[in-house]
Amino acid sequence: MNKIIKSALDRGQRALSEHQSKLFLAEYGIPTTVEFLVQSIDEAKAAAEKIGYPVALKACSADLIHKSESGVIELNLRSLSDVAAAYVRIMSAMPIGLEGVLVQEMIPGMRELVFGMSREPQFGPCIMLGLGGVMTEILNDVVVRVVPFDMAEAREMAEELRCRELLDDFRGERAVDMNAICRALTGLGEIGIAHPEIAEIDINPMKINSAGQIKAVDALVVLKGGNHAAH
Amino acid sequence: MRPIEQTALYPIINPKSLAVFGASNKYASMGTNLLTSIMSLGFEGNIYPVHLTEKSVKGLPAYASVEDLPEIPELALMVLPTRIVPEALEACGRKGIRRAIVVSGGFKEVGGDGAALEEQICGIANRHGIRFLGPNCIGVANPHHKFNATFLPCPRESGFIGVASQSGSFITQMFDYLIQFGQAFSAGISVGNEANIDLVDCLEYLGACPRTKVIGLYVETIRRGREFIDMARSIVPHKPIVAYYVGGSEAGRKASLSHTGALSGPDRLYDGVFAQSGVIRAFSIEELFDFCWCLGAVPKPAGNRVLIQTHSGGPGAVAADACSRAGLVLPPISAETLDKLSPYMPHTASAANPVDITYTKKSMDYFTQIPKILLDDENSDAMLMYFLMSEKSVIRAMEGFGIIGEEAVQESRKFIDEQSQSVVDMIKSHPKPCIGFSFYNRENQFVANLQDKGIVVLPSPTRAARALAAMVRYVKLREKIMSGL
Repeated sequence: MNKIIKSALDRGQRALSEHQSKLFLAEYGIPTTVEFLVQSIDEAKAAAEKIGYPVALKACSADLIHKSESGVIELNLRSLSDVAAAYVRIMSAMPIGLEGVLVQEMIPGMRELVFGMSREPQFGPCIMLGLGGVMTEILNDVVVRVVPFDMAEAREMAEELRCRELLDDFRGERAVDMNAICRALTGLGEIGIAHPEIAEIDINPMKINSAGQIKAVDALVVLKGGNHAAH
Repeated sequence: MRPIEQTALYPIINPKSLAVFGASNKYASMGTNLLTSIMSLGFEGNIYPVHLTEKSVKGLPAYASVEDLPEIPELALMVLPTRIVPEALEACGRKGIRRAIVVSGGFKEVGGDGAALEEQICGIANRHGIRFLGPNCIGVANPHHKFNATFLPCPRESGFIGVASQSGSFITQMFDYLIQFGQAFSAGISVGNEANIDLVDCLEYLGACPRTKVIGLYVETIRRGREFIDMARSIVPHKPIVAYYVGGSEAGRKASLSHTGALSGPDRLYDGVFAQSGVIRAFSIEELFDFCWCLGAVPKPAGNRVLIQTHSGGPGAVAADACSRAGLVLPPISAETLDKLSPYMPHTASAANPVDITYTKKSMDYFTQIPKILLDDENSDAMLMYFLMSEKSVIRAMEGFGIIGEEAVQESRKFIDEQSQSVVDMIKSHPKPCIGFSFYNRENQFVANLQDKGIVVLPSPTRAARALAAMVRYVKLREKIMSGL
C-alpha cells in the first residue's frame, strides 16, 4: 500500500490532509502547487521567500474539509510581514490539531476546473471533470466517465464540457495543455483501480494558469469509511 | 462474441416448444391471454398447457404436472401466483427445462417476503442451470418466429428494431405505435426485475441477432455497469445502440463529502456511460424509435453538413433551426450545384440552404432531378427533404384536366405511385443519407408508399433533424471505439 495512505490509515484518519492529498496525487502525475508545510513563523517566512510572492497560507489538517468556511486561508500575501501576520491569524483561529501551515504559491489565471473520483455501486470508480470556480454548483457543467478509459476518451470528456471554449486562448491567457488534462483524468482513473481504500477524490480548484498549465490548488482524498463522518 | 444460438436468450426468444403455466379456460386471466397471443400469432412449436384441473386449455391437451409432458419443452412460461412460482420452477428443473419466463410479479419489487422469494427462485435456477427472464416482466415478442409471449396482440409484420426494456409497456404498447410508421420489432424483450437475465444478456442476444439492425434500450438502471460498457463497445462497431434513460432523482443523490459526488448525479453518470459505450442517447420514447428507424434504414452520414430541400418556407426554416440546435451545419450550396440547379429553379426559388423551390413546373423535378443534384453536392453529407403530396389536390388537378369521379381517384393513385416510386429509386440509388419529413402520416398514400419501400419519413422537421444528428453521433462514437480496439 502507498506510504502516505498507509500512515494516514494507521493514524485513523478519515481523509488525507490537503498536503498529503497533493503529495499522493503528484505520484500519479497530477500537477500540484509548489508548497511547504511549516511549523513556525520563521519556517513560513523562509518558505515564502523560496516560492516568491504572492503566496497563500492555509491551515493544514486531515480534519479540515471545508477550509474556506473556517477562516483559515490567507491569500495574496505579498511580503514577509504579510506572511508573519497571516501565520499568527491562522494559529489563533485554529491553534490545535494542525499538521502545520501550508505556504503555497498563488496561481495566476482566471480559469478553474474541478476533477474528481467517486465510486458508483454498479460501475466502480468514476472520474468527473467539471467547470470550477464560484459558479460550479450553479452551472453544473460536468462530464463523467467510468474507469478504465484511455487518453482519447479523456479528450472527449474535455471536449464535451459546455464551457469547452474556455480551454482555448481566453482573454489573453493561453490555451490549456489538453494533454495534461487528459493525463490527470487517466491518472485519477489509475488511482481508482489501484486504491480501493480510497472512497473519493476531489481536486477543487484545478487552476489553469495564464500559460495554460493546470495545477491542483486544493485537493481532498477521502478514505473508505471516512464518508459522511467528517461532516 | 458468441454465436446467437449459444446466448442465454436464444431459446427464450426462439423456443421450439413451450410449457405454459397459468393459462386456463378463464378468458379474462392474464395467463390465458398470453396463451391466446401465442396461438393467434401462429406459433409453430408444441405448446403444453400445465393445469391442475383442466383437461384441455383452449383446445390444447392440458397436463396436471410438468412431469407428465411427452417431451422436455425448451421454455417454460409462468403466469402464476407468486407463492407457487418456486415450486413450479423446481418442477421445471427436475423435468430438464433450462429456460423460463417468469411473468408473475410480487417479488423484489414489492420488498419484504417478495425479495426472499426472488432469492429463492434464483437459487432454484442456479441449482438446475435454468436461465430465466423476469420475474415481474411482460415477456418477449419475436414476430420472425411467430412468437408473441405477451398479453397484447403483436402484428405479424416483423422489423429490424430489437428492443430490451425495463418497462414492459415499451414493448407491448409499442406494437401499434410502430405500425404508425410502418415499422415493427425484430425482437422485443421485457426484462422485469432482471433477477437472472439482464440488459447485458439482451445486448448480447440482440447484437448477435441477424434480423436486428439496430438495438433500442429503455433504461432505468444498469445493474452490471462494467459488463454493459464492454458488451456495448463490442457491438457498436457493427450495430448501433440507442438508449432512453429515465434518470434517478437528482435529489435522491446520497450526501457526499466531495464535490465529485454532489455534482455528478446519475444523469451525468449515465451520459458518460453511454458516451464511452458508444450508445446514442435519446431523450424521449419518440426519439428512441426515430433514431432506431433512421439508424437501421438510412446510410450513415460521413459528416454533419446537411442540405434541406423544401417547397414551403416554414417547414424548411424549422428544419434549419432544429439542425443547428442539434449540432448540424448548413453549408452554402456550391457554385457548381447552383449551375446544375438553375434550369429547374423558378424565379421565386431560394438557392440558399434550405433550398426552397417554392414550386416546380413538373413535380418530378422536385422529387428526383433537384434532390439528385443536391445529394451530389460535395460540400454536404446528408439531406433532409420535405414531402407534401395531398391526394385531394392531385384529384383536383385531375378534374382540371377533365378526368372526374372514380377515374380521377384511380389516376391520382397511379400518379402518386409513380411519383413516390421515383423518389424511392432516387434516394436508394444514392450513397448519401436522405431523411424525409412531412406533417402527413401513413393515411397519406405518398408517405405510406415511401415508408413501405424503406424510406424514412418522420412526422416533423425537428424530429428529422434530431434523428440525423443522432446518426452523425453514431458515426463519431463508432470511430472512437474502433480506434480504441
